[in-house]
Amino acid sequence: MPDAVTQAKWDKIAPKFDAMAGAGAEERWHPFKTELFSNMGDGNILFLALGTGLDIPVFPKGKTITAIDISPKMVEQAQERIAAYDGTITAQAMDVHEMPFEPGTFDQIFTSCTFCSVPQPVKGLEALRRVLKPGGQIFMFEHTGSSFYPFKPMMNVMTLLTERFGPAMNRKTVNNVRAAGFKIDEVSNVFLDVVKTIKATNPG
Amino acid sequence: MDHRLFFVVGDLLANLLVGVIAGLLSWLIVDTGWNMVIAMFVMMAVGMIAGLVVFMVVTFKLGAMEVMVPVMFSGMLSGMFVGMAMAMMPLSLGDAAMYGGASGLLGIAICWIANTLLRGKTRQA
Repeated sequence: MPDAVTQAKWDKIAPKFDAMAGAGAEERWHPFKTELFSNMGDGNILFLALGTGLDIPVFPKGKTITAIDISPKMVEQAQERIAAYDGTITAQAMDVHEMPFEPGTFDQIFTSCTFCSVPQPVKGLEALRRVLKPGGQIFMFEHTGSSFYPFKPMMNVMTLLTERFGPAMNRKTVNNVRAAGFKIDEVSNVFLDVVKTIKATNPG
Repeated sequence: MDHRLFFVVGDLLANLLVGVIAGLLSWLIVDTGWNMVIAMFVMMAVGMIAGLVVFMVVTFKLGAMEVMVPVMFSGMLSGMFVGMAMAMMPLSLGDAAMYGGASGLLGIAICWIANTLLRGKTRQA
């Protein structure tokens, strides 16, 4: 059974998610996401936390992508963007902790602002490592907590508020990726040390 | 920092606004004779909350973390400076707004400098 609390939280947000996420954030992040997603190859690709499909217009054309999200309502909202994509996206409502895929199914995995919201991030990342081929890479665009004062306590305060209706602001995602058994290849800060891209390999 | 004109101007205005609001709140709340340290901490918290409110208004057009972190920081900084000043000497409403606005602009400038120092690749294979 998927995590009912998390599913209900995102189902509730789904109809107004585009307005909440805002055009401003997508516009700011567009160049960085375009660069990250340009790493999509020709093999099997898993995209985690599809949401309403805000990232789909940034995907390179002609890819075959399996996209999952814990919220059926989000997947429903994404249908229009999926239909408009010049390639193949198979979207399913699914909990990352309970993916039915065989081990080593995917050549690459991509995430976008995902691990601020997965309740058990290390377990979620371990589940991703299981379905990623040995030597396969994970590419992540994530916002995390900061290591620097005064941003660190500010993000902690914000998390007390934001976690009630959406994401946490103080996750240590790079550490979580490492704890899940991935080998970190590259971390690149997009804004301060708060928004970043992470590339890591499944050592097998 | 983001060099696109819309975001540069938007960031400046948002942080200026937060600074002015935090300055005015300090003028309203703090009185000469307050313990300066207490005034500082109280107004840092109030300024941060003011930043959060402004963030919720401008986030749709200006972005997420790139707005939230600077405006909360600027609110905190403005609250700290003007709150402490108010505890030491009486300020006019205009002075409180002006010092608050200047602190807000200082806040975004510090964030831009920090971002320039931190952004880019931090770890390679």
